Amino acid sequence: MTKMLNKKTTTYALGVLLLAAFAGFSLYAFQDTLTPYVSYEQAKEKQQVVQVAGVLQDNASTYDSSTGLLYFTLEDEATGETLPIRYEGLKPANFEEAISIVAIGRYDADTGELAANKLLVKCPSKYQGAEVKEYS
Amino acid sequence: MLHHVSQLYLPGAVPLWGALVFAILAVWGYSLVLRGDESARVFARRAYTFFALAVTLASLVLVIELVRRDFRVEYVFQYSGLDLPIHYQFAAFWAGQKGSFLIWLLWGSLLGLGVMRTAGKAEAPVMGIYTLTVMALLFILVRENPFVMLGNTPLDGEGLNPLLQDDWMVIHPPIMFIGYALTAIPFSFAMAALWRRDFKDWAARAFPWTLGAFLVLGAAILMGGYWAYKTLGWGGYWGWDPVENASLIPWILSVVLLHGLHLERTKGRYRRANFIVATLMYLAVLYGTFLTRSGVLADFSVHSFVDLGISGWLIALMATFAAIPAVLFVTRWKQIPVVRNEDPLLSKGAFMVLSTIALGVSALVITAGTSAPLLTKYMENPGQVGPDFYNRVNLPIALLVALLLSLVPFLTWRGTPLAKVARKLVVPSLISLAVTAATVAMVVRDPFHAIFIFLAILALVTNLQKTFQRASAQGLGAAGGWLSHVGVGVILLGFLASSAYDQSTKVTLTQGEPTAVGDMEMTFTRFIPRQGREKERMEVKVVRANGEEFFTYPKLFLNERTRQVMANPDIRSSPFRDLYVSPIEFDPGVQPGAPKTVQLAAGETLEIGERTIRFAGFNLLSQARGGAMAALQRGEQISVGAMLEVVQDGQVGTAQPTYAFAQSGLVNSQPTALPGGGTAVVSGINANDGKVELQIFGLGGVEVEPARLSIDVTKKPLIQLVWFGLYVILAGGLLSMWRRLRQAREYDDVAERVAVAKQGR
Repeated sequence: MTKMLNKKTTTYALGVLLLAAFAGFSLYAFQDTLTPYVSYEQAKEKQQVVQVAGVLQDNASTYDSSTGLLYFTLEDEATGETLPIRYEGLKPANFEEAISIVAIGRYDADTGELAANKLLVKCPSKYQGAEVKEYS
Repeated sequence: MLHHVSQLYLPGAVPLWGALVFAILAVWGYSLVLRGDESARVFARRAYTFFALAVTLASLVLVIELVRRDFRVEYVFQYSGLDLPIHYQFAAFWAGQKGSFLIWLLWGSLLGLGVMRTAGKAEAPVMGIYTLTVMALLFILVRENPFVMLGNTPLDGEGLNPLLQDDWMVIHPPIMFIGYALTAIPFSFAMAALWRRDFKDWAARAFPWTLGAFLVLGAAILMGGYWAYKTLGWGGYWGWDPVENASLIPWILSVVLLHGLHLERTKGRYRRANFIVATLMYLAVLYGTFLTRSGVLADFSVHSFVDLGISGWLIALMATFAAIPAVLFVTRWKQIPVVRNEDPLLSKGAFMVLSTIALGVSALVITAGTSAPLLTKYMENPGQVGPDFYNRVNLPIALLVALLLSLVPFLTWRGTPLAKVARKLVVPSLISLAVTAATVAMVVRDPFHAIFIFLAILALVTNLQKTFQRASAQGLGAAGGWLSHVGVGVILLGFLASSAYDQSTKVTLTQGEPTAVGDMEMTFTRFIPRQGREKERMEVKVVRANGEEFFTYPKLFLNERTRQVMANPDIRSSPFRDLYVSPIEFDPGVQPGAPKTVQLAAGETLEIGERTIRFAGFNLLSQARGGAMAALQRGEQISVGAMLEVVQDGQVGTAQPTYAFAQSGLVNSQPTALPGGGTAVVSGINANDGKVELQIFGLGGVEVEPARLSIDVTKKPLIQLVWFGLYVILAGGLLSMWRRLRQAREYDDVAERVAVAKQGR
């Protein structure tokens, strides 16, 4: 009887240990993949993937078809700061109409640009409730 | 906000208010029944039926208003438009927040009619709780009324977001909302069982509804994946976006609940856990709704939901539907019968419990990841986690689930000796090892991937074996669960292959020039203009290494209403891989015969061919009273001529192409022949710097440039396994459903006969 009980306790203890290990693993993954929302200044300082938000400056962007890169500048409406963005991929369909663009990527100190690998595009409120395309 | 009666479209608003009254009456009636007043039952049922009718009526009114294009109604104005084809008029119903709550409410109220008939003895508490859950949606709609009218009657609506103008939009959202509505039913059964302290048959009655939620949510997720992959051009079928996760979490919990209810029905185990899981499944739907509708994730989700001002309501809802079970758990916990767990580890029961824990943990980490912006809200820089998080944490869970699934076909309830399991595993393991070795020989280098493939194939083989055994011994209906397990093995292979082994190349093709892309040769052959409903397409010829030739047609077109450029991929499917061609950018180049476009200020000249064209200035042709600006403001059309002097071989000629415009934006510009050949058109004028923009046809002066098309070409191996696996999982669920419904009918027949016999006594 005690032997059975012991065996059971061991099984449970093992289970709890496994769950704890997984919890630790998940927490690490969580911290590791967390992309914080930062100001442009912080984006330039942080050596990690961050996300920044802003509006498209001058409603302008250029696409270099030889490299497949999209260049544009985000402007923080509150502070007037700007941050050049280099994005590898498709120009979002509603890019020019966006009321806000979120770029996710890492700052490239060599070129002074944020190298974005993902853009989130917010549409005007008349499309509230609507889905917006994801470009990753 | 609440609206004054005069601001509402009454044919729709009155049924909504009526529905609220009937819902309150139904809850009141059922509470009388609960207190022992049996005569109130008929009243409560009628009240509920009228509630469902009223909701249906309100929904019909919205449909009619959308189809009539009655733009007085704000919701119709916002999501409908004159140019919208009829099926999108219907789809506009659920294009906005208010309408999507209404369709959810509609399904919820109609499903309640079925719940009423299947709840048996527990009808009063089940329907009481259930009516509260649908009433919660009704509260939101009475507050955020879809029948609010504008002060005026616009001539046209704002139209449906072009991204939503897709056939999937017509079918995917309403099915998702059936799934959401279904999750409230097992919850209501659970609460009723706790309330009545009757723990006997709720599991049997809640099972088909849970299976229904599982099937419908699964089908909706499948459609969403198709939509993302085939037309939206997201490149994949799943992006771990909050809105996607909001449907995945309840789906995973429905799988947990299905297994838990099965354990409870067959072994009397897992009772307490089932109550918790049923609660969590429903709360997960509410929480997902809160995350995606309250605006808390506005900066984090690609599905840009804007705050409607209902966050407070949604929080109150969650609190209410968490408080009810909490109170019931506390007061009933000790009375829930518990069967002691005496199963050895290698038994069906223990494995079922383990896999539900694994899936529960998966649901939990996905919830945590989706909630990251809330969890980190008070940190210095709140953030979100990317797809990488979900992939990483779910990988070990997938491996564990695959392992459990591989062994479970050989286990019995009482437990099976390890030696016996091992013996039965020999052949399936050899098969799986052989396939894994083949993949390693071909492409797979990562040892984790090899383990993943081995376990997934093992699960597939052992469960396939079991499916056949079960089906031949007890009929196809009994094999549903095992068939679903086969699907899990298949889908895991599809996940790995399509995510870790896809190859993507971005390339710019010049029209007519064959370009090497990987082992293929691609040529952008031509641009095909819009033909009727068929959008503008690009034709790309592909020649494979084996000489096979075909064309793909990625689309890149302009939505005229919003001036958005829309892109749709084209997919060439073959048995082992998809070729995914996604357009990035199209440069039309300069075609032969294209006009020379030039901007000239007064006095400036253009040398073209052997001629010199001088722009002498504008000539106001209209008799504009009070000046051109005043005339424009009166809505009159202004006509301007561009005086041109053309000099050729010393001879001077003149021409005056005209340009008429009005404040409405209307422009009328006629081509005018130039002396000595060619034509000129005024394509624009710039009042600020006095410049004219001219297009000169037929005189050359332009360099022909070929059109260019930039595309993203991706090879996605074995992606079909994802779809096929999900089909198999759902097919297994359908088989089980079919069997349960047959059993339930027999069960009801027996119950009815017993009841009749009792009454007769």
